[in-house]
Amino acid sequence: MSGPKPDILWSPHHVDRYVICDSELSLYRIESLGSTEAKAGAVPLSEETAATLLAINSDTPYMKCVAWYPKHEPECLLAVGQANGRVVLTSLGQSHNSKCKELMGKEFVPKHARQCNTLAWNPVDSNWLAAGLDKHRADFSVLIWDISSKFTPEASVPAEKIRLSSGDTDSGVVVTKPLYELGQNDACLSLCWLPRDQKLLLAGMHRNLAIFDLRNTSQKMFVNTKAIQGVTVDPYFHDRVASFFEGQVAIWDLRKFEKPVLTLSEQPKPLTKVAWCPTRTGLLATLMRDSDVVRLYDMQHTPTPIGDETEPTIIERCVQPCETIIGSFAWHPSAQNRMVVVSPNRGMTDFTVFERISLAWSSGTSLVWACGRHLYECSEECGAGAAAAAERDVATKMRERAQSRYGHDTVQVWKNHVLAGGNDPQLKSLWYTLHYILHDHHRYYIIQCFPYFFGNKQPLLYSGIKNIVKSSTSGTTESRRCWSGSERPAEVVRYLSEERGLALQLCGWIRCGPDINVEPFLKSLEQEGEWERAAAVALFNLDIRRAIQILHKGASFDKGDLNLNVVAMALSGYTDEKSSLWREMCSSLRLQLSNPYLCVMFAFLTSEPGAYDGVLYESRVAVRDRVAFACMFLSDSQLPRYIDKLTNEMKEAGNLEGILLTGLTKDGVDLMESYVDRTGDVQTASFCMLKGSSGEVLKDPRVQCWIENYRNLLDAWSFWHKRAEFDIHRSKLDPSSKPLAQVFVSCNFCGKSISYSCSSMPHQGRGFSQYGVSGSPTKSKVTSCPGCRKPLPRCALCLMNMGTPVSSCPGTGKSDEKVDLSKDKKLAQFNNWFTWCHNCRHGGHAGHMLNWFSDHSECPVSACTCRCMQLDTTGNLVPSDSS
Amino acid sequence: MFVARSIAADHKDLIHDVSYDFHGRRMATCSSDQSVKVWDKTESGEWHCTASWKTHSGSVWRVTWAHPEFGQVLASCSFDRTAAVWEEIVGESNDKQRGQSHWIKRTTLVDSRTSVTDVKFAPKHMGLMLTTCSADGVVRIYEAPDVMNLSQWSLQHEISCKLSCSCISWNPSSSRAHPPMIAVGSDDSSVTYTGKVQIYEYSENTRKEISSSTGPTKFEVQIVAQFDNHNSQVWRVSWNITSTLLASSGDDGCVRLWKANYMDNWKCTGILKGDGSPGNGSSGQPGALGTAGGTLAAASQNSLNGTSVGR
Repeated sequence: MSGPKPDILWSPHHVDRYVICDSELSLYRIESLGSTEAKAGAVPLSEETAATLLAINSDTPYMKCVAWYPKHEPECLLAVGQANGRVVLTSLGQSHNSKCKELMGKEFVPKHARQCNTLAWNPVDSNWLAAGLDKHRADFSVLIWDISSKFTPEASVPAEKIRLSSGDTDSGVVVTKPLYELGQNDACLSLCWLPRDQKLLLAGMHRNLAIFDLRNTSQKMFVNTKAIQGVTVDPYFHDRVASFFEGQVAIWDLRKFEKPVLTLSEQPKPLTKVAWCPTRTGLLATLMRDSDVVRLYDMQHTPTPIGDETEPTIIERCVQPCETIIGSFAWHPSAQNRMVVVSPNRGMTDFTVFERISLAWSSGTSLVWACGRHLYECSEECGAGAAAAAERDVATKMRERAQSRYGHDTVQVWKNHVLAGGNDPQLKSLWYTLHYILHDHHRYYIIQCFPYFFGNKQPLLYSGIKNIVKSSTSGTTESRRCWSGSERPAEVVRYLSEERGLALQLCGWIRCGPDINVEPFLKSLEQEGEWERAAAVALFNLDIRRAIQILHKGASFDKGDLNLNVVAMALSGYTDEKSSLWREMCSSLRLQLSNPYLCVMFAFLTSEPGAYDGVLYESRVAVRDRVAFACMFLSDSQLPRYIDKLTNEMKEAGNLEGILLTGLTKDGVDLMESYVDRTGDVQTASFCMLKGSSGEVLKDPRVQCWIENYRNLLDAWSFWHKRAEFDIHRSKLDPSSKPLAQVFVSCNFCGKSISYSCSSMPHQGRGFSQYGVSGSPTKSKVTSCPGCRKPLPRCALCLMNMGTPVSSCPGTGKSDEKVDLSKDKKLAQFNNWFTWCHNCRHGGHAGHMLNWFSDHSECPVSACTCRCMQLDTTGNLVPSDSS
Repeated sequence: MFVARSIAADHKDLIHDVSYDFHGRRMATCSSDQSVKVWDKTESGEWHCTASWKTHSGSVWRVTWAHPEFGQVLASCSFDRTAAVWEEIVGESNDKQRGQSHWIKRTTLVDSRTSVTDVKFAPKHMGLMLTTCSADGVVRIYEAPDVMNLSQWSLQHEISCKLSCSCISWNPSSSRAHPPMIAVGSDDSSVTYTGKVQIYEYSENTRKEISSSTGPTKFEVQIVAQFDNHNSQVWRVSWNITSTLLASSGDDGCVRLWKANYMDNWKCTGILKGDGSPGNGSSGQPGALGTAGGTLAAASQNSLNGTSVGR
């Protein structure tokens, strides 16, 4: 087995020790790297572990095979089989107790010298050591030695004679009489004791596998086969045995020993080792000669009883523990799936074979996986900081946004971007756009000024700048405007029309109304510290002095950028002379400005009239500013082309800034679709589409799909309150989404629905408004069926007739009731509701029932054993978002 | 930033599958020890095993939850050639006090003649439907016509895939724009020339599931990204709820997390060792995982095994 190639053996009891045997025995201790880092001489085995050489034993030359004594004491006792057939007991390490000393150096010598092929300690009676030898025509090949047998004088004489090879000087005891002699006139290549019975020995003989029974040595059970090498018993199924021949592994079932139950696919080269994993059922590792992989066969089921001809499922895997060719390997006796491999030149690697890891995501942010017998759960920790926020998954973001009531602010629509965290420029742009579109004053103004917009079937209001520009009906006027604040009379052509004005309003540059003054906008930009943007807007409005003033203000502002002064200086030198040095320098140096707004300012100043590509296609400038710019300076022929182009670009990229152009139209849905495809953010999509889309757009299957998916998400997160709020929000904007009543209660006597007749009662309004004031005279009315005036069932606890109008009739002045009711009072009202168990149909006032079940598990009605409160597991879950 | 912690699973053999319920508050595991365990999350976030019972007479391959609107229902499948449906019932009060729940078998589906390798409930909008697939390549779709009676299941469709099936997955979308679809994966090692993933969709006209990917392909399947970071066989992949994060596990014993950026470029955002110890790219904190740095940036050009069926 060994020869020039090293073999490796784990200590059966010390989990951290193993022996490498080639020409000598070397004992290693394996340690985790943390503790041995400083130690010199430690050989790293893996990223975490290293091995230290503890002892070397070179007392036994011509070593052929080694077996480690299976019992605790004496530890580190090894049996070594030699080329001449002798078996020598030797030891590694220091602990020399009396028993060990006695055994040390003991030799077991066969009658005729030939190679010892294999050794096996009996796992139960550890004094028995089986040795398998080569064939000798006059001798047995399987010898079982008793290591405790005493020195026999008559045996020592021949021992003296045969002492051929062992040139060692030890005066060890020599034993020549084996306990049992088996397998005459045959060779034995492999051996193993069967755990079924301590007296059964399985041997791979020359041409057959044989089971020797030591209770009756004349008998043996055998089967002819070539697969006689490396017999080994599955530690988990004692009837399952593996053996191999050349490149083929045979699996045997000892209960039906006639033929192998299984032969594994043949390998191109002979195998050198086959071993069952000791820590896991049905995992067999095989090693091929000159190979760098260990091939694993995973037999994932228990061997079936005889007669059942099922195809066994075997999963074949290859693992590559190290880069080099593997000489040998050994499973760790207790650590799960761990092995040490050794290369022919004694390089060692510590390696763990991983099981198939199955994994699953929860609806939240946790991931769970199973590795072997272990379970691990891991969840995303909320990191702080903007960078972490940007890196987070959209599911986490949506969850947080749902909790901060994102999308629910219908009055100050722009504020939703703050609720979303306020760090996403696209969302900011989107909500500002919607704000401008939905702004009430704005609407009134538009209705006044552009009544024809509403003459169409589809209000142009929601349809974005693209349609506004296209529908341009009023004539565009060109006005040549001079630069204010500049001495030179340079003129720039600026276009004006009602639609363009409207577009500018949507862009947020000007307030609604006939006034086209951008000053309020500049002020607000200044307040937010967007100096460059403000300056650019001022400049585009041809107010160069204001732009310089803004830049100067920005520079002098607390923590302001002093470079802005330099920019201001550069601006002030503006000249429209085509060949001036200023122009030349500006057009080349502007590209090096890092701020896009500063860059476009100079692009504007240096460009030819009508050719503003430097501004229009600067993608770092917000879309709304570029569009506003285009509305001011592009002619009627250029403008729609530019807007179209930009719209398509936005649609393709799924850029929410483009909603400004598309509005909440079909085009907008297209854009949103590519946004959702890219980000998965159905939340923003749902809220955005619900913010004022026309019914037609809401009916788009894509929109419905987003809404459904978002509701499903909220449900999965147990954000039921949020989902309910979303539904309420939705039904306000999309009345068709209102669900029907879910429960009807009909009267026991007349069979009419209580709520139905209730709502048809003429005085219901009064009844409701007074309802809730306990003891009020009107309450007695609701304890009877409104249809037939018969009393309603009694509460099982207070035995009073129940009565609560369950219908949620519209127009009951609910809202003002809500205001003056504290939380307690609201709950007090809920206490009057009547509830019943669906299983036993007993019920009563909700308050009484809750009270009862807080102390009891069974129904309050006598002789009813229904466990009403435990019937529904989902009902016991609490929403994650209850506040 | 992901932090892993161990849960004392206490299965006696390999755990083959783990599955969360719809709300992520319950978990089920199944194992070669022939048992299924149900776990409930306590308020402090700890997992507490509330049921453990022997389900099959062979390794249990997969376990899966039905949507909670059908009750607390589990399905399991096994090497013993059966699939089973389980329902939690209200146990005796002392059970409840011990924090244990009781699960009873509602049905055993015995149609397969080989090991049943996967079981999945259909999306809830289709009603209570269950699909199984088996090692001999048959996909079976069962339906419980009465959702209140879990002991009656009728075999609605039987699709022969001609390949040994190892896993199935429903298209979760409830969109009416496309009919229900199932993807079936095969572990057949002999087949290399045709795809190992087949997609079947329900045809309203013929009222049966028809194949759409083996023959003339209806869908254009596009590789969005492909990675070989696992350096070995990849065993399992799983999407998070928004399909924006993908987790994969492979023979290298690592769990890797993948995420796409704005431009739909996928990259590895984290590595976790299967045994819960920190991955290679992480900082030294125990059990913590940092975002994998430079080594993976290069790998993003290589690409990952994720396919997306036409959005």
